[in-house]
Amino acid sequence: MQGERKNVRRTDRIKRKHQPILPIKKTPSKEVEERRQGNIRAARRGGFYDKHYKKLLIIPFIILLAAIATITAHYATTGDFINRGVSLKGGLLITVPTETVGADELGKALNTVFTDHDIETRSLEDQGRQIAITISADLATEDEQQVERFIKAIEQATETDRNDYSIETIGSSLGASFFAQTSKALFIAFIFMGLVVYLYFGTHFKVKVAAAVATVVAAAMMYSSSSTLNVIALLIGAGLIYTYIRYSIPSVAVILAAFSDIVVTLAVVDLLGIKISTAGIAAFLMLIGYSVDTDILLSTRMIKRKEGSLYDRLISAIKTGLTMNFTTMAAVLIALFFSESQVISEIMTVLFIGLLADMVNTWLQNAGILRWYLEKKEKEEGSA
Amino acid sequence: MTSAKKLFTSARILILVAALLLSALAIHPSFDKEGVAIRGVVKNSSAAIAGIESPDANVQPMNREVVKSINNILINSVADYSDATKNLEVGQQLILRTDRKVYVLEVKPLYKTTVLNQTQLVNKTIYNETLNATVNVTVEEPVVEHEVIGVEDVGLTVYPKPVNNIRRGLDLEGGTRVLLEPQEEVDDQTLDLVISNIKQRLNVYGVSDIIVRPTKDFAGNTYIAVEIAGVNKDEVRELLAKQGKFEAKIGTDSVFLGGDDIAYVCRSPSCSGIDPQRGCGQISNEEWACGFSFTITLSPQAAGRQAAATSVLDVLVDESGEGYLSENLTLYLDDQVVDELRIASELKGSATTQIRITGSGAGITVRDAEIDAIANMKKLQTVLITGSLPVKLDIVKTDAVSPVLGQTFIKNVMLIGLLAMLAVIVVVFARYRSIKVALPMVITMVSEVIILLGIASLIGWRLDLAAIAGIIIAVGTGVDDQIVIADETMSSRRKEQLGWKERMSRAFFIIMAAYFATVVAMLPLWFAGAGLLKGFALTTILGVSIGVFITRPAYAKIVEYFLKD
Repeated sequence: MQGERKNVRRTDRIKRKHQPILPIKKTPSKEVEERRQGNIRAARRGGFYDKHYKKLLIIPFIILLAAIATITAHYATTGDFINRGVSLKGGLLITVPTETVGADELGKALNTVFTDHDIETRSLEDQGRQIAITISADLATEDEQQVERFIKAIEQATETDRNDYSIETIGSSLGASFFAQTSKALFIAFIFMGLVVYLYFGTHFKVKVAAAVATVVAAAMMYSSSSTLNVIALLIGAGLIYTYIRYSIPSVAVILAAFSDIVVTLAVVDLLGIKISTAGIAAFLMLIGYSVDTDILLSTRMIKRKEGSLYDRLISAIKTGLTMNFTTMAAVLIALFFSESQVISEIMTVLFIGLLADMVNTWLQNAGILRWYLEKKEKEEGSA
Repeated sequence: MTSAKKLFTSARILILVAALLLSALAIHPSFDKEGVAIRGVVKNSSAAIAGIESPDANVQPMNREVVKSINNILINSVADYSDATKNLEVGQQLILRTDRKVYVLEVKPLYKTTVLNQTQLVNKTIYNETLNATVNVTVEEPVVEHEVIGVEDVGLTVYPKPVNNIRRGLDLEGGTRVLLEPQEEVDDQTLDLVISNIKQRLNVYGVSDIIVRPTKDFAGNTYIAVEIAGVNKDEVRELLAKQGKFEAKIGTDSVFLGGDDIAYVCRSPSCSGIDPQRGCGQISNEEWACGFSFTITLSPQAAGRQAAATSVLDVLVDESGEGYLSENLTLYLDDQVVDELRIASELKGSATTQIRITGSGAGITVRDAEIDAIANMKKLQTVLITGSLPVKLDIVKTDAVSPVLGQTFIKNVMLIGLLAMLAVIVVVFARYRSIKVALPMVITMVSEVIILLGIASLIGWRLDLAAIAGIIIAVGTGVDDQIVIADETMSSRRKEQLGWKERMSRAFFIIMAAYFATVVAMLPLWFAGAGLLKGFALTTILGVSIGVFITRPAYAKIVEYFLKD
């Protein structure tokens, strides 16, 4: 009994605290009045958005096109989509025999001088004691001056003689086929995501079955090493996208948002000249996870919910979704600030850029597309 | 019943608590840092003779035997251990105390063995597999000369004592860096082939955390650098330096090779393992032998070659009246005979695709022999699946290498993790102005991390950078879902129209949709095979599943307790 009473008091306290933001209990008449007022306010606020959402929709597409142009330009000038760090590109591997200087210490010293280069230092141990440090850096052996400067810096930092060093060039730590494999996997991931969204939110049972079969077939073909089958898989993928444009716009929106997130982030990373290592690749993959959460929330609120106007539902989704975005953003910023490791900084920088891109892509692109689609549907249903 | 009592007896909370307890048990944290753990024992070394057992690779880190002292000197680091086992004399005794037993090791001399160009006849007692008994035979053997050239290592490989069961990957723990040199010049294409074969071989063998990359020195020589975590040197030598040329012959005809000729190799316990028919037997006082067998499926071409080779053979009949063919099927690995199989007469000229491959292993105890047999079997299976390397490789050097991520990385990650959770709480509190929404979120976030680490410890998953990224995503998605729960249940308008159950089911509709979309997006990355993608995908799937099925329902229950009228 005691417990229950305490409980009541506790809930009372929250109610009081919350009244301005989340009115938990009110008299019905007040509630109705409030809602009416709210609707009027919403209509007034929504007026601008409702009038201009199609124009707003242009923004994310301009960004996406600019991003694609940036990446293409980057590819044309450097021959690669990203600036690869030493773990992805390879470079020089110098082994310096030293028992006194620590690997982390040397790494920091070199990184402050050669800020433009990606440098990794590790210690080699024998019987539990350090015998040498290996330094890998994304230097080209042809650039003799640079290499010379680098070796000099090592000599100074470790007080060792270069004649004791062993110098090798080293290849990428991810195999040559890694990027091809990743693109294939991402393609399959996207069509699967589209399928799940269609199954969840779409109609037409027979089309659903056909889409599911086509998706599985395309996935299987994509994994095969035959390039003919790969091309067929791509064609099936295109067919699926066409199907979703006709039957399941939310699927298109989700795929497009995840794709845009990755492409826009990639472009910004290229523009800023950030070098990407294996950690950065992991961060790009993480973007998919974050992208999906807000998109699904938005789709559910806009399509499955019936209360309020489209604008009201959008606002409720934005309220929840922005809370999601802000919690993630807060965590990322904290991590960026307190990171002592290059790897963490790299992951968090990519995530930070990606989350900004995701906000635009979810709340302008995805929301705009859904808005358009639902409005059209309502009109069609109204005229029918 | 009070609602607090209801809360703590609800199934969802009980499941969460049970999962947490089991995870803590699996992680098995300990504060005892003294000693060095045994990674492996070299065969026939003084450590092995003294009775120290080589641990199975799947043994949990905390269940490894730990060396505490040698000759009453406490061992607290790998450096202490190497000091204690340095500068020994032949015949000297070492008293080695572990957390389980005390062993007395006798230091052995190191021999240089030269095989002379002459032979001698030796009487031997050997184990005959077909008769399942020991027989005395006289064999001709080359004369071998042994010359003492120093002191043999006691034969233990050790590493710092683990303080919990969480295994760390290459980029967090470091490992062994092996530099391999091809014995002949290779072009880039062959090099790629060798690299992918090595990767596949290690994967099949059960080592997935590897980096294999090509290296060149300034003289233009090509090498292959391999980094592996948690594998001992013997295994490295067996897997990387051997070409792994498998050949099955009938008489002088080659019938099938490893790789393309093999359609399928069975590795499940139902059709591979210690041979139930032959089992294990004692060969002599100090030696046991165990037979292994597993089935393979030949490609139609190889089966055709086998049919052609057997069709010309004669049929013989043995003592028990069973017919067999005049030539045996002989299996060679790197030109050494692994086993000889008698072919039953029914198989003459038939293109059979199902073949049982057998072989054996030996050791000083039954257990040793069993382990050896299983290791030989795994090696043979690996070679049969992956085929042979296009060139032979020499091990140029092996080094212990520190982790890429540096020593302070984990501490930094933990600090950031805690601060990031705080930041999330601040944002959530700012939005809802209620500690009753924010506090359960902390509980779920921490629970998710603990349960994930618990499962990782249990299944022997190696935690690396990709896994950490996966954990971050899982926890981040968890926070997103909890915000959905909070919003769906607290929104005033819906609250009055809908019951608590309906509000929850609406929240879980969104959560499940996001869950399925995430899982299907991760599955292709898992199947893509490459280490980084696979690790990330697996941890993410595992993490979001734990979230959706264990922690999220519990969070919903706690929120219900706090907020329901």
